[in-house]
Amino acid sequence: MERTNGIDPQSGDLILMVGTVKGAFIFRSDRTRREFRIAGPYFKGMEVFSTAYLPDRSAPRMLMGVKSQHWGSTVNWSDDFGASWHEPAEGNVKFPAASNLALNAIWALEPAPVIGPNVVLAGVDPAALYRSNDRGETFRPNEALLNHPERPFWMPGFGGLCLHTVLPDPRDPKRIIVGISSAGIYRSDDGGESWTRRNQGIRMDDAGPPNAPHFRPQCAHKMRYDAKNPRRIYLQNHPGIYRSDDGGDSWIDIAPGLPSVFGFPIVAHPRSADTAYVIPLTADNFRVPIEGAAKVWRTRDAGASWMPLGNGLPQQDAYFSVLRDAFVSDSLDPAGLYFGTRGGQLFVSADEGENWRTIADWLPAILCVKAQVVG
Amino acid sequence: MRFHLPSALRKWARDQEIVELSLPLDLRMTIVEAFEMLGREYPGIRQRVLDDRGNLRRHVNVFVDGENVRFAQGDTTQVTHASEVRVYPAMSGG
Repeated sequence: MERTNGIDPQSGDLILMVGTVKGAFIFRSDRTRREFRIAGPYFKGMEVFSTAYLPDRSAPRMLMGVKSQHWGSTVNWSDDFGASWHEPAEGNVKFPAASNLALNAIWALEPAPVIGPNVVLAGVDPAALYRSNDRGETFRPNEALLNHPERPFWMPGFGGLCLHTVLPDPRDPKRIIVGISSAGIYRSDDGGESWTRRNQGIRMDDAGPPNAPHFRPQCAHKMRYDAKNPRRIYLQNHPGIYRSDDGGDSWIDIAPGLPSVFGFPIVAHPRSADTAYVIPLTADNFRVPIEGAAKVWRTRDAGASWMPLGNGLPQQDAYFSVLRDAFVSDSLDPAGLYFGTRGGQLFVSADEGENWRTIADWLPAILCVKAQVVG
Repeated sequence: MRFHLPSALRKWARDQEIVELSLPLDLRMTIVEAFEMLGREYPGIRQRVLDDRGNLRRHVNVFVDGENVRFAQGDTTQVTHASEVRVYPAMSGG
């Protein structure tokens, strides 16, 4: 067990769990979000692709998906706010021998209380979904997705063949949606027994691979549920921004009004229906803010119109990118927004995106951010 | 056979720098099989040296009797009861 510095939050405090290419950090603030204190680094020198917080009031737990370039990937956990971390001796996310696959990285950790009080779902590279029934200590693969007949047509992107987004339906324990780069969006309506691709309406100009030209692999970058309606989902695709009003059965283009269709993350407001945020980047081949001016764009009408928000963000010579898991909201009122950059800056807005400031400038490249109010 | 472990792996072998595997004098096996056998007592070592497919991890260097197995027979490099195995994390940049 690795012992390090914890954060000792009070009930009602906000914590940010930040994964980087060289370890993780935890920030703590009270509800005003005026001042943040930093703790860490945890897992020094290792990549932390994913984090999660299990908010059980009597025994809260932090999870982190940690990758050592040398020794592989595991899900590690802390039951004392980072003061000590459990690293399993044997891998707790492993591919079965018959799959002939080997774990690269753990991209997503998603508590799924709708399925069970101790259930955590994990998305990994190479693309597969895992389930834990013991709060992230051990995981088993979802066999139906692992053996999906379309798997031979999936193609890795620059970040690998990653299952990066896991959306358990907040009302239906049988329904789960996942995003895979590059394959697209798959949904199960039977608790993971079967999976169907749900890319209808998403533009794809290129044909599929030679062994399946009819298969048009999509590179879904990030999906989020609308705050009020889990049938409404927002999607930042590799090229394009979309909305589904039928749980992923079909998608409509909501990019008009934005300066670019390219970006990685998308965030839904924690309470307000029809409200979402994106961070457009110039283009696939130049993944930086447009003309060096960083802006977050907000819609309050489910994508019919968009408004730029940039007060406090650098408006010249800003050439960072923001990865898909590095932009989140908290659950406070007014909602806080947070994004980390590959340049190591961590930006905070405590007023729903109207005003921004940095709370860290010199972190390693940021891979993921999670915000959580401590119960 | 003796395994010399880097500092990062010793916590998975009760903080030992060197761990021994007793083998019959006439037994030969591959280096991967040797790590599988070592993993019965020290599963944390096996986990970190071999991937899920049972291959040596890409950024782990293993030397058998002074020779890097990557420049020998790789995962099928033969070892015996007298082999000296050394494990090193690869130098990496960034």
